[in-house]
Amino acid sequence: MVQPADKTVLVVDDEPNVREYLAMILQDAGFNVVQAGDGREALEMVRRDPPDFISLDLIMPEMSGHKLLYELRRDKDLARIPVLVVTAHAGDEMGKEELQDLLDNRMLSGPGTYLEKPVNPKNYVRGIKRALGIEVADDGEEKIELREELQDSMGQASPEAMKKALEILRKSQEENE
Amino acid sequence: MTSPSWHSLQGDTLLDEIPHGVVVMDHDLRIVRHNHAFEEVFGPSRDKHCFEVYKDRREECPDCPARATFADGRQRVLEESGLDLHGQTVHYMAQLTPLRENGGDEVRHVAAITTDLTTTKRLQREYQTLFEKVPCYVTVLNRDRRVVKANEMFRRTFGEPRGEFCYKLFKHQHRECEDCPAARTFADGGSYTSQHVGTSRDGEPTHYVVSTAPLLWGDDEITHVIEMALDVTDVTRMEAELHSASAFRKALVENSLDAIVVTDEHERVVLMNRAAEELWSADRADLVGRKAPAEVLPQRLQQAADDETVLLHDTTITSLGGETIPVRLAGMNLHDGDRLLGGAVIAHDRREVKELEREKITAERLAAVGQTVAGLAHGIKNVLMGIDGGMYAFRSGMQKGDDARMLKGWQMLEENIDRISTFVREFLEFARGRKPEVKLVDPNRIVRKVVELFEDKAAMSGITLEAELQDQLPFALMDEAGIHDCLDNLVSNALDACEICDRPGRRVVMRTREDVGKLIIEVADNGTGIDYDIRKKVFTTFFSTKGANKGTGLGLLTTRKIVQQHGGKVSFESTAGEGSVFRLEFPRDRLPSLDEDESA
Repeated sequence: MVQPADKTVLVVDDEPNVREYLAMILQDAGFNVVQAGDGREALEMVRRDPPDFISLDLIMPEMSGHKLLYELRRDKDLARIPVLVVTAHAGDEMGKEELQDLLDNRMLSGPGTYLEKPVNPKNYVRGIKRALGIEVADDGEEKIELREELQDSMGQASPEAMKKALEILRKSQEENE
Repeated sequence: MTSPSWHSLQGDTLLDEIPHGVVVMDHDLRIVRHNHAFEEVFGPSRDKHCFEVYKDRREECPDCPARATFADGRQRVLEESGLDLHGQTVHYMAQLTPLRENGGDEVRHVAAITTDLTTTKRLQREYQTLFEKVPCYVTVLNRDRRVVKANEMFRRTFGEPRGEFCYKLFKHQHRECEDCPAARTFADGGSYTSQHVGTSRDGEPTHYVVSTAPLLWGDDEITHVIEMALDVTDVTRMEAELHSASAFRKALVENSLDAIVVTDEHERVVLMNRAAEELWSADRADLVGRKAPAEVLPQRLQQAADDETVLLHDTTITSLGGETIPVRLAGMNLHDGDRLLGGAVIAHDRREVKELEREKITAERLAAVGQTVAGLAHGIKNVLMGIDGGMYAFRSGMQKGDDARMLKGWQMLEENIDRISTFVREFLEFARGRKPEVKLVDPNRIVRKVVELFEDKAAMSGITLEAELQDQLPFALMDEAGIHDCLDNLVSNALDACEICDRPGRRVVMRTREDVGKLIIEVADNGTGIDYDIRKKVFTTFFSTKGANKGTGLGLLTTRKIVQQHGGKVSFESTAGEGSVFRLEFPRDRLPSLDEDESA
C-alpha cells in the first residue's frame, strides 16, 4: 500500500504565501514537500533529485511554469513525473493561451491536471493522491467533497468551469455504477 | 612777282573767310598765297612747291593736273590723297581754276580749292562697319521689295540676298506680307515697326521686330528703304516658358490643399488660394490688394528673421468668422536677392487630424482601463489564496497547539490584508488619476530630479545610477509630476531588477534625446531582464514578478496611462539575464497643449 510519506512533492510558486500554504496542506496530508520559487530553481532541483510529483504555478519570473514543463517533457526520465498546474490565470489572457497550449500539446493530460486559484485544499490533496495511486478516503467524505468540487467549478461561472463540473458528475456516476 | 590787281580783288581777310583750303600757285608750282583753312591742314606753305606741301615729295608729280590747267586753261576737279602737316593721310578734293591776268589768255596762276574729305571717308567706313556688325538684321530694299544690300548677321541667318524679294528671304514666301512696313514707308516716308515670324535658312522659326526708315538720296521720291530687324526669338521663347511656368505655379498654388496667402512688402495680400478662402472663411475678392488682416498674418509669424522660415507645428488661427482652428503654420519672407518682395503664409488645417488623435488617445485610454479592471479581478486571486493559507495555518496551528504555525498564519493574514489595502489604494489612484498640470518643462530637469531621488538607495545597493542627457533638449509641454511618477516607477523597477541579480558592475542609466520630432526618455538596466513569457504581460494586468510585498504590478500600468495622456507610448526591450530598456516616446505634435484641460 502506497503511503503519502513515501512520496515527495515539489511545490513551485513565486508567491511565498501561496507556496507555503500549499506545502503546509501537503505536509498535513503526510507528504514530503520541497519548494522552489521559480521555474529555473525548480528545474535544478528536479534534475538533482527528481520528486514524485510537481505542483506547478504558470506565471513566474526567470522561467515560467509553461517553459519548465517543456523542459521536463524533453527529458525522458523527467517526462514521466506527474504535474498538477495551479494557476490564477486559467481563464484570463495571462494564462489561457499557455494552458491551452499545454493541453493541446499533451504536456498535461486528463481531468484534474490543473486547478485554478484559490484552490480547495481537499481537492488539491485528492488530485495529487489520485495521480500517485494513493487510496482516497471513504465514500461519505467523497460525496461532500464532490459537492465542494462542483460548487468550486460552478462558482467560476465560465463555460470551461461548467464543462469541468459536468465531467466530474459523469465520472462520479461511472464510479457509482 | 607781284600782281596789284589780284591783291585789290582778293584781300587776305576775304580769303581767310572761305572754309576750304585755298592756294594760288605760279608756273613753277610754287605757292604764292594760301588762306588760313589751308594752313590748318597742311601748315605754313608760302613759297613751297605744291608737291612738297601736298605729298611731301621732292619733285613734281607725274601727270600733274596743275600743269595741265596751266597748259589748257581748263578747270579740273580731282580726288587725291596726301599727307597733312602731322604726316597723317588726308583725302581731299581739289578744284583747280586757271587765273588769267587782265583778260589776257595766258594763265599766269592756278588756284586750288581743297576740300578735306577725310571725315567723310571715315564716316563712310564707320557706317559700313555699323551696317555690317550691328546685332540686327539690316537690309536695304528697293521699291520692288528686292534686297539690294544686307548686313553680315542677315546673311548668316537668312543667306545671301542675291537681289531676292525680302519676303522670300525672310519668310520663304512668294507674296508680299499683308502688313509690310516697308510698303508704308515707301508710301509716306514714315518709320514703321511691326513683329514678324520668319524662317532662317536652317528652317528654324525666327522671331523679329522690324523697323523701317526711308533712305533719302537727294531726290524727292524714296527709292530705297532701310529695314532694321531685331531678333527676339530667345526673348519670345523665354516669354513662353515664363508664361507656362507661371500658369503651372498658379495651378499648383490654387489647387493646394494647404491654405496659401502671399503678401507684398507692405503686407498687402497679392494672392490667396481656394484653401485659404475656406480656412479663413474669407472671400479673396475682399482681401486681395488690401492690407492682410491680423487673422491671416498672425503676429507670431512676423517675428520671422530675414531668411528664416517660422514653422509652428501645433498652433491655431482664428478665421474671419471668429472660429479657432488648429493648424500647422509656416511663415516666410520672400526675397529676390537682397530685395524683400513680401511674405507667404502656409497653413495646414489640422482639425481632422486633431479629432482622430483625440479619438485614438481616448480609445487607448479606455482599453488600458478595461485591461486593468479585468486584471484586477484575477490578480486578486493570489491575495485571496494567501488569506486562505493564513487561515489554514492559523486554524490548523490552533488545533495542533503549534504556536509557530499559528504565528505564521497570523503573519500571512496580515501581509495579505496589507496587500489588499495597497491594491485598493493604488487601483483607486490609478483609476481616478490626477488632473495633469501641463507646463512647459525641461525634460532633462525631471530626469535629474529622479536621479537625485534614487541616488542614495542605488548607492546603498551598490548599483550605479547615472543620467546621459542630450544637451539643449527642447522644452516640452508636460505634466511634470506625472512624468516624474513614470520615471520613479521605471527606475524603481530597474533597481529591483539589478538587486535580484548578482553580477558585478550593475548600473541603471537614464537617457534623454530628440529623435525626428519625438522626445525620448529611456531607463536602461543590466539587471535580470524579463523572460519572454512574462514580457508580453508586462502591461496587461496587475502582474508582478517581484513576489509578495514588492509590488502590486500597477507601476507600469500607471506609467503607461500617464504616457498615453501625453500622447506617447511605452515600449521596452529585454533579454532574460542581460537587462532591460524601457523607452518613453513622446511625439512632439501629440503632446498636450496648454488649453487642453479635459485629459484627466
